[in-house]
Amino acid sequence: MDTLAKLQILSGAARYDASCASSGSKREAPACGTGNTSQSGICHSWSDDGRCISLLKILLSNDCRYDCAYCVNRSSNAVERASFTAREVVDLTLDFYRRNYIEGLFLSSAVMQSPDVTMERMVRVVETLRLEEQFGGYIHLKIIPGCSSELVRKAGLYADRISVNIELPSQDSLRRLAPQKHKDSILEPMALIGREIHSSLVERKADRRAPRFAPAGQSTQMIIGASPETDFQILRLSQGLYKKMNLKRVYYSAYVPVIADNRLPVLAAPPLLREHRLYQADWLLRFYGFSAEEILSDDLPDLDETFDPKTAWALRHPEFFPVDINRADYPTLLRVPGIGVTSAKRIIAARRFSAITPEGMKKIGVVLKRAKYFIASAGRPFEKPDRTPALIRQQLLLGEGDGVAPPRQLLLSGLFA
Amino acid sequence: MGMNRYLYDGSADGLLSAIAWILAEESDPEQVALAARKDTLFEDGLFIGTDATLAESLFSRLRKQLPDVAHTLYFCMLAEKEGIETSLLHYIFLAFTHGDKINDYLTHAAVRDIVSISKKAARELHRMKGLLRFEKLRDGAYLAKMEPDHNIIHPLAYHFRTRLKAQHWFLYDVKRRTAARWSNGTLQFGTIEQFTTPALSDDEKQVQALWQTFFKTIAIPDRKNARLQKSNMPMKYWKYLTEKQGE
Repeated sequence: MDTLAKLQILSGAARYDASCASSGSKREAPACGTGNTSQSGICHSWSDDGRCISLLKILLSNDCRYDCAYCVNRSSNAVERASFTAREVVDLTLDFYRRNYIEGLFLSSAVMQSPDVTMERMVRVVETLRLEEQFGGYIHLKIIPGCSSELVRKAGLYADRISVNIELPSQDSLRRLAPQKHKDSILEPMALIGREIHSSLVERKADRRAPRFAPAGQSTQMIIGASPETDFQILRLSQGLYKKMNLKRVYYSAYVPVIADNRLPVLAAPPLLREHRLYQADWLLRFYGFSAEEILSDDLPDLDETFDPKTAWALRHPEFFPVDINRADYPTLLRVPGIGVTSAKRIIAARRFSAITPEGMKKIGVVLKRAKYFIASAGRPFEKPDRTPALIRQQLLLGEGDGVAPPRQLLLSGLFA
Repeated sequence: MGMNRYLYDGSADGLLSAIAWILAEESDPEQVALAARKDTLFEDGLFIGTDATLAESLFSRLRKQLPDVAHTLYFCMLAEKEGIETSLLHYIFLAFTHGDKINDYLTHAAVRDIVSISKKAARELHRMKGLLRFEKLRDGAYLAKMEPDHNIIHPLAYHFRTRLKAQHWFLYDVKRRTAARWSNGTLQFGTIEQFTTPALSDDEKQVQALWQTFFKTIAIPDRKNARLQKSNMPMKYWKYLTEKQGE
């Protein structure tokens, strides 16, 4: 099989992985090699589904001995199988990088003979890139659960980011849908990676020449909608991963039905809106100072499809509002629907020069469409104060005059990952 | 009393030296307007001659004292936008008064104008770092053509100088006819009067076909979203994108 045919199979098999980030690492170009990385990451293209392309995202092989119900590469599925040689992946990466198609390589794989054999081959690819070819571009390497810790350590020395996919949000679902994968074989390497990243940071403080370990951190991904967990369960899991495992990012991937299986739900379409709401809630966890328990509860276990999670929270907490834009501190401003990190910082910065009026809010570029129901300036709310949450709810939905905009799937690029 | 109005020759040096002159001579620069001289007979305003030393000293003073402002000014100049001279003058005056945090003063019209123009240029530079496409030529060098809205060839070339330092390459701005050349460890800039498309390397079309294949298969068919694709990657950039050829 020629490289083009393999590429078709092995990029098609890799497209369900949501991660595309190329940020968080600042790697200098090797003295006589090719490539460096950019701290903020660079998107190189956007595919027909609107998602950013920054890395050559491929599997080393799709020839899997596991039989996970949700996976297109499961051993019982009749798809064409292919495997790259290390040289083919190295050449593709360099040929693409030299033409500026990509920021680097994202290498994952189906489980070939064993986790160790698979991981060893993947490590050999990145070792060749880094040592023989002096490649300084971005590398994201997937860890195959169940491989030796020695291989995990080696992977972290060559890669900028490494990730272990948690796949499904609970042990029960894992047992049911991915019987050959075990919770421990996923969590153990995650914990190991967390420890290695930490100790590398400590060592590098003492000695700048100490080796880096996965400088862009670790991430994971879980499939949404293939199993019965609630959004509350999912968010609490993510919260734990951020707090205990120090993860950089949890990706949510809407389950796309690829093969019929009576263990799986029948869906008319992938649950894209749910994926998007989880993505938004995840940002609230990471950057907005919310806890999972504030966003959802046992009585309210799933995210609102109509409103983004912050607006939904605000509507449940009228006692918190209105927030005075000239007095509120940063964490308080961040709780206002429609005010994000950029707007909150701009408000704090601009009011050092003079008090901000409603007009001034527009001037500094804060979008008031949602925010106006929740803020005040000089003691006066932007909108009439007598509005009940029910009325605000209605106006947010219908707008003032314009018709209802249908909820649209949004996917933000990997710029800020 | 009306605004004092000044003119300069339209060059970058002329603009900076006029601003330096006004800041030194005028008591209230916020009441002063500045514009490029057009070739009309009756123009209202006092002409300030270009003084490269004065321009250079203003810019180096900004770089030392107000690095964020110098950065903003640099990107603002890449925008090659007409009619922003008065805003720029007021912006720099305010910067010397309030310090390097002036970019936060977005409720001020001049600051907002300058910051937004500068941000647009910086955004396109960041975009082109991703969207630029090189083709391998028969002699082994790489060539990338582009038509950016802003004149970003300098900072773009510096980005690729570290990134692709092991290969010979050219950047060519088709609209402005300017080029950058990186070869044997030196970076040069120049203009190109007559551009002839050089022959491609023998394997170039093969590599392009690999990329085009990857681009097609990496999209999830159930999630097609042309609108999102276009909003992230405006069509004006498609002309030179390898993956968008022959679509």
